[in-house]
Amino acid sequence: MTDLRLDATQLERYSRHVIMDEVGPEGQRRLLEGSVLVVGAGGLGSPVIQYLAAAGVGRLGIVDDDVVERSNLQRQIVHGDDDVGRPKVESAADYVRALNPDVDVRAHETRVTSETIDDLVGGTDGERTDGYDVVVDASDNFATRYLCNDYCTLSGIALSHGAIYRFEGQVTTFPNDGDGPCYRCIFPEAPEPGTVPDCATTGVLGVLPGTVGCIQATEVVKYLLGAGELLEGRLLMYDAMGLSFETVDVRRNPDCPVCGDDPEIESIHDVGYEGSCTVSSD
Amino acid sequence: MTVDWKLFADLAEHAGDRHVTLDDPGETVGDALETLLADRPALADRVLEEDGTLRSQINVLRNGTDVEQSAGLETGLEDGDELALFPPVSGG
Repeated sequence: MTDLRLDATQLERYSRHVIMDEVGPEGQRRLLEGSVLVVGAGGLGSPVIQYLAAAGVGRLGIVDDDVVERSNLQRQIVHGDDDVGRPKVESAADYVRALNPDVDVRAHETRVTSETIDDLVGGTDGERTDGYDVVVDASDNFATRYLCNDYCTLSGIALSHGAIYRFEGQVTTFPNDGDGPCYRCIFPEAPEPGTVPDCATTGVLGVLPGTVGCIQATEVVKYLLGAGELLEGRLLMYDAMGLSFETVDVRRNPDCPVCGDDPEIESIHDVGYEGSCTVSSD
Repeated sequence: MTVDWKLFADLAEHAGDRHVTLDDPGETVGDALETLLADRPALADRVLEEDGTLRSQINVLRNGTDVEQSAGLETGLEDGDELALFPPVSGG
């Protein structure tokens, strides 16, 4: 275990945290001891990475297999014009290193699949010998979203869910410390591929993922601090055009295929994630 | 009796509107859904399975609460109810 007393530079850097009773030096130490895996370094991932790095989250993993495109820059604010063509994880990791040397940033230029997720989240990947406390789903497709949900629910790892569509966002938190609920309690299976158009087809208001990603970062910080009320059992729906928020209660569904009374899905390897994320027939 | 439907994400585009007021919605949430979908075939295609049942990932709210936490589509209506349909979204 490293010496977790805050040094003089850290006391200055985090002074606006440390001065508050709700955080204090103990809370700041929890953030510095915390580890978070951000899945996706795009619109949602950008503010999540920026604020978690600024907050001093000790180990920040970033997974993405894309390169930065100029059309990303209207909303993916962790990347700059000079980063076009670079892997997103490299660009994002450089941002984190430049912002806060306290953060051990790990860039994983790969896709999260049922073959890679255990290595990525569980911590059997390369030099790392320990896993992550929290996974942030900042991905852009249902396959990754259902995989993150199923893995984290089955493994008892906290998951922050955020997703966007044009002017609207959905955000919630699954601590996964009990019997659910999980994402499949709300949406048992994914829409058939092609049913819901993506950002490239429909467009997206650039600032929208900023708002939703900042809520995800807020939730992660609170989770690591052990303070405040999480969006646990609540799905927050945000409409940028009406500037309105609605909260829907989310309860464990006894028929949920992952956390229900008689779950069909006992392993991520039971599921075909490329279609509607249901149990494979083979 | 009137009830209002609020439609989220791509469902609003399929319906052609984000808010729909029904003056004669019927007795239950299911009746109000049928009335909503009757002259909106694109929305009906989006939210219903081929057998006419509601797709599992489409959620129905009555006054902010998932109707599955009461009597589902059999849940009774009251004047002024706010109903909502919301799907999962995947963008990031």
